[in-house]
Amino acid sequence: MTIPPVLRLVVRNFASNLDPLTVLIRFGQPAITIIVLGTMFSTIISSSATGGGSYTSFLVPGMVAFQMITGGVVSGNLFWLDRRWAMTEQIFSGPFRRSEYLGGLVLTTLLFALVGVGVMLLAGLPFIGIPSLSPLAIGTVLLTVALGSVFFAGLLIALGSRLRSANAYFTIQSFLQLFVIFLSTVYYPITSATPKVLAAIFYGNPLTYAADTIRDAFAGTLGGGDLVSLGVLGGLALVAFGAAAWGFRRLDLGPIQ
Amino acid sequence: MTPGSEVVLEALDLGHAYAPGRYAVRHLSVELHRGEVLGLLGRNGAGKTTTVRMFTTLLPPTEGTARILGMDIRTGGRALRSRLGVVLQAESLDFVTVERNLTLYGFLWGVPREVAKSRAEEMIELFELEGARHRKPWALSGGERRRFQVARELMHDMEILFLDEPTVGLDAIARRRILEFLKRRSRAGLSMVFTTHILHEADLLCDRVAVMHQGRLRALATPAELKHRYAGAREVSMSFRQPLPATLTAALGRELAGRGGSSPTTEPDPVGAGTSIRFRVEHAEELLPWLTRWVQLQGLELSRLSVEEATLEGAFLGLIGDLPGAPETAPGLPTPGAGT
Repeated sequence: MTIPPVLRLVVRNFASNLDPLTVLIRFGQPAITIIVLGTMFSTIISSSATGGGSYTSFLVPGMVAFQMITGGVVSGNLFWLDRRWAMTEQIFSGPFRRSEYLGGLVLTTLLFALVGVGVMLLAGLPFIGIPSLSPLAIGTVLLTVALGSVFFAGLLIALGSRLRSANAYFTIQSFLQLFVIFLSTVYYPITSATPKVLAAIFYGNPLTYAADTIRDAFAGTLGGGDLVSLGVLGGLALVAFGAAAWGFRRLDLGPIQ
Repeated sequence: MTPGSEVVLEALDLGHAYAPGRYAVRHLSVELHRGEVLGLLGRNGAGKTTTVRMFTTLLPPTEGTARILGMDIRTGGRALRSRLGVVLQAESLDFVTVERNLTLYGFLWGVPREVAKSRAEEMIELFELEGARHRKPWALSGGERRRFQVARELMHDMEILFLDEPTVGLDAIARRRILEFLKRRSRAGLSMVFTTHILHEADLLCDRVAVMHQGRLRALATPAELKHRYAGAREVSMSFRQPLPATLTAALGRELAGRGGSSPTTEPDPVGAGTSIRFRVEHAEELLPWLTRWVQLQGLELSRLSVEEATLEGAFLGLIGDLPGAPETAPGLPTPGAGT
């Protein structure tokens, strides 16, 4: 049986670049956030501030949404390391198309994000139990994380295809992560008390749409607003993927630092 | 197997410009036959790597054409690349152990698992990587990384192998082993394009050598032809059993001058009681029959006669060493691509 090139690349992505320590940190960090931050803040934040449930029940969907960052960062970094260690050049000189390599990265992102969703649900299990999600809610959660992951992967791949310095790439990537995570509704809701400027910034952040939609799916309150959120995420994912594909077409395979 | 007549690579006026008017390679016309090893020689920046990158579809040519295995390099894409092997100049590594790297690369190329496993064992033994089998790339020495990179490329089948300076950083024994292995593979029908700065390697491995300078082909010939044509003057030294009178030395000097040789220098033979003389002359082998006759005619007796060996390095220096700036074509050299 011949395995399609994209799947061969996905297997290679997992096998070659994802060492156990990195995987542990990528999934462990948000899981610990649920356990520690959830426990500690649940004692000081009233349930009215988080829509009726405990802070942990507010945080778990947020950390599920967070997985789109995890997935995106994994692909962005994979691509950067492949460029740095000339594996893009080596792979492109083999029986693969650039589109297949890009497809492999996106699939890796999705799989990683999916595993991340599972890990977050497991970490939240002792606090919120098994969430009762309708098939529509499950589909919405997965679609949201998938679109968000493609958005972040596309963004970082586009960035990685233009930058020639590891320093620049990792600095921008870290800044982006920080900005996107803290200026979103992953950790806190937007309320009437939220300063308007901050609220505006929050709503300019795709992670906010993802976190709110996933929260609605967990709460069983999906509505028209969530459809709009998915549309926004889908559009952004398309734009970022387009930017990544554009970067790939013009990718200079020469040495980078 | 000697190189066959089947042409597997044919480039015609191939070129790549990084910017308008700034050519890395220009007017490259060359052929490669099945089972042939073609060496690309040249100084840094001569265009060797750019040429390999064009042939392997990593870099699109901006002018000219090239067909490899019957396919145009602009449109051949995956179908073409799946029949090639490439050892890049840059270190390209995956972050798993050497053994896993090999089998993973085999998997990427669609090599069946069992075949990949046994081939990995073969490569580990052949390229002396047993001690590095369970180490990750960053724990390897420079030489091990290079050996590993060549070994990895041989995990899959191919019809043409491109090797861009594959022996950089290798010790003499490892280099010799790799060259001998490549020679065996070429005899078995594998065609190769091989770039190197180590001219002795090209002499050992290559059936023909293309000398590039500033993006252009300056000569294309067998190593023997290149040495014959461009190796330049070589030193001939002779020792006589008896002292050589000054009149004879002067007479020899006049004869040599008429044959393109330098003035002979004389000194007492460090071994015997006679005289040793040395001079430089082009195409020394052609002079030897005359020289031995002259010695006999003068009633002299030779105790030693030696001619400095012609090397590809000498030919390379003779061909490239004096080339200034960026001439369109060096005077007196064959037209690039003439296939001499």
